[in-house]
Amino acid sequence: MSTARDEILQALRNNRPTPENHPLPPVATLGDLDASRERFITSLRILGGDVLEPVEGETLDQAILRRHPDARVICSNVPEAKGTLPVEKVKTPQDAATIDVTVVRAPFGIAEMGSIFLSEAQLPINSFAHLGQHIVVLLSVDELTANMHTAYQERPEFKTASYGVLMSGPSATADIQGVLIRGAQGVRSLSVWFT
Amino acid sequence: MSDKPVNHARAAEHFIEDAPHLQFHDERLWDMRQKRDAQMHILPEWQELREEASRIKEHTLSRLPEYLEQFETNAKKNGIHVHWARDGAEHNRIVGEILKAHNARNLIKSKSMVTEECDMRPYLAKQGVTVTETDLGERIQQLDDQLPSHIVVPAVHKLTADVAKIFAKDYHTDPNIRDPHLLAEAQRQAARPVILHADAGMTGGNFVVAETGTFVVCTNEGNADLSATVPNLHIATIGIERLVPRMADMGVFIRLLSRSALGSPITQYTTHFRGPQKGGEMHVVLVDNGRSARLGMEDFWTSLKCIRCGACMNTCPVYRRSGGLSYGAVYSGPIGAIIDPTFNERKYSTLPYASTLNGSCTNVCPVKINIHEQLYKWRRVLVQHHEMPFVKREIMHMAGKLMGQPRMYRAAIKATEVSLGTMPRFVLYNWLNPWGKHRENPHPVKQTFNDWYRKNRQTTKPAAAPETKK
Repeated sequence: MSTARDEILQALRNNRPTPENHPLPPVATLGDLDASRERFITSLRILGGDVLEPVEGETLDQAILRRHPDARVICSNVPEAKGTLPVEKVKTPQDAATIDVTVVRAPFGIAEMGSIFLSEAQLPINSFAHLGQHIVVLLSVDELTANMHTAYQERPEFKTASYGVLMSGPSATADIQGVLIRGAQGVRSLSVWFT
Repeated sequence: MSDKPVNHARAAEHFIEDAPHLQFHDERLWDMRQKRDAQMHILPEWQELREEASRIKEHTLSRLPEYLEQFETNAKKNGIHVHWARDGAEHNRIVGEILKAHNARNLIKSKSMVTEECDMRPYLAKQGVTVTETDLGERIQQLDDQLPSHIVVPAVHKLTADVAKIFAKDYHTDPNIRDPHLLAEAQRQAARPVILHADAGMTGGNFVVAETGTFVVCTNEGNADLSATVPNLHIATIGIERLVPRMADMGVFIRLLSRSALGSPITQYTTHFRGPQKGGEMHVVLVDNGRSARLGMEDFWTSLKCIRCGACMNTCPVYRRSGGLSYGAVYSGPIGAIIDPTFNERKYSTLPYASTLNGSCTNVCPVKINIHEQLYKWRRVLVQHHEMPFVKREIMHMAGKLMGQPRMYRAAIKATEVSLGTMPRFVLYNWLNPWGKHRENPHPVKQTFNDWYRKNRQTTKPAAAPETKK
């Protein structure tokens, strides 16, 4: 008895258009190749994210509290911030649910979209990026790539990470009467701290 | 499933009667179209991107068996379980078995048109599985027991008051809420505990990358990532046409998808799943459900290029003024009208007529599907297969006879002009004249073109007027 797999593949082989008529085009690199911090910030703001600018002499922990004065549980997965909850306490996916502010470092950002990338390499557990109420993302200006074409071609993470998410601003919805709401079901805000 | 043809026109009539809903629907979708245009104008390379996307998709479809095998090999290497389903029933059975093996009773899921196609929720309900949609629009539709009316914004036909009423019943919120922010917050608060206690999570997949064994999910609310990362069991249902060969191809598609859909540069979340998370398990179900057969339809196979952005729906004057539910199908709008008949030719025989053939759908399609030409071609196929409504068939039949005989045609034109001017309304406007249903018939003219021609150009003796040859 033939399996579903074999039947589907056979039907596709029988029915497909002539492959020779449809060659694969070379990989495209189109559009603006500006990878500047300014372009990244403009794009980030369009998607509802923002930059956390340090005030003179301020530490990252102080800046986070300035932005999120009501935060009680701050959990940092970077050495630059202490937070209030040691990251070792986050063991199961559900453990991240009590966090008010999550602090992580992104290996790179995309100037065209204001996107930051996170994978299991930057997270103690994948849900860490989503269950907290707010997220603060550290990003080096040297790790900006211009646009989606350059990102997919240059960044090895797309081929190595098991879980790789591009977050472009905070979660959002416009499902009720077209009203755009920032802070849907994932993080309510996303702030980038440049290093 | 009933095979009775969907009465799109009557359902649309019903939709049009409600002026506030109609006006919002029309304006909201047109606003999405305009935002899409604004994005297009920012990018000088827009047409090049569309061309690239179209070529990559056509190439992939012509080598789909090879790319599917490549994906399967790589995905398995990364620890993903890959399943194949010929149709909806097989898909549902596979998902049911995976859940049973894990004793999973609570499933949270993000939006997936393929699971709608498979009618999965009722099947799993019978198995004792509670399925909770976590996308806001999809959840509204689930609670209201309706199909999504749009593939990107499922509840776009509803106003805030409608949502408030639905949430009041199920979430016990105030039915008089008129602030969408409060309703979105109610959804967040209601969904969180369900997500935290779910046994399994389910997503769809917008793209599948053969080269790496990855599937890519594009969403805005964060619910798909929550559904995939909080429970340890993740099942993804994906149509077999969603492949691209290389990771580098994703650049083209991500740049087009959300700009075409909502007019935003990118979805808030673009997630690449390449393997299960620590301690977790990941399954991909590849669903055919008519796609391999569609690949063999010479005039219609390119509809498989579709990336489900909904731009053709937003721009379509018929869709905007009839609402997605009037199509009576999982896929509505222009793209629905060309793929639904492949699922059930008789049931969806009316849908290719839900178009003015203005071509706007084709012009906005990011992967350059010739939608309006396929609408026209479907009409031809349906006539050949005798799937045509009675009145339309008889009118076409009569028109064909009439136009084939110039003498009769001219006599009929004259008689029509006379009757348009003299007949009472009830004779002119009835069920035999669907054209006159929502429109006034044209004003009668004093002189037909033929009369004018004979009077003014008699001397020139053209090759026309074939009846004089006799």
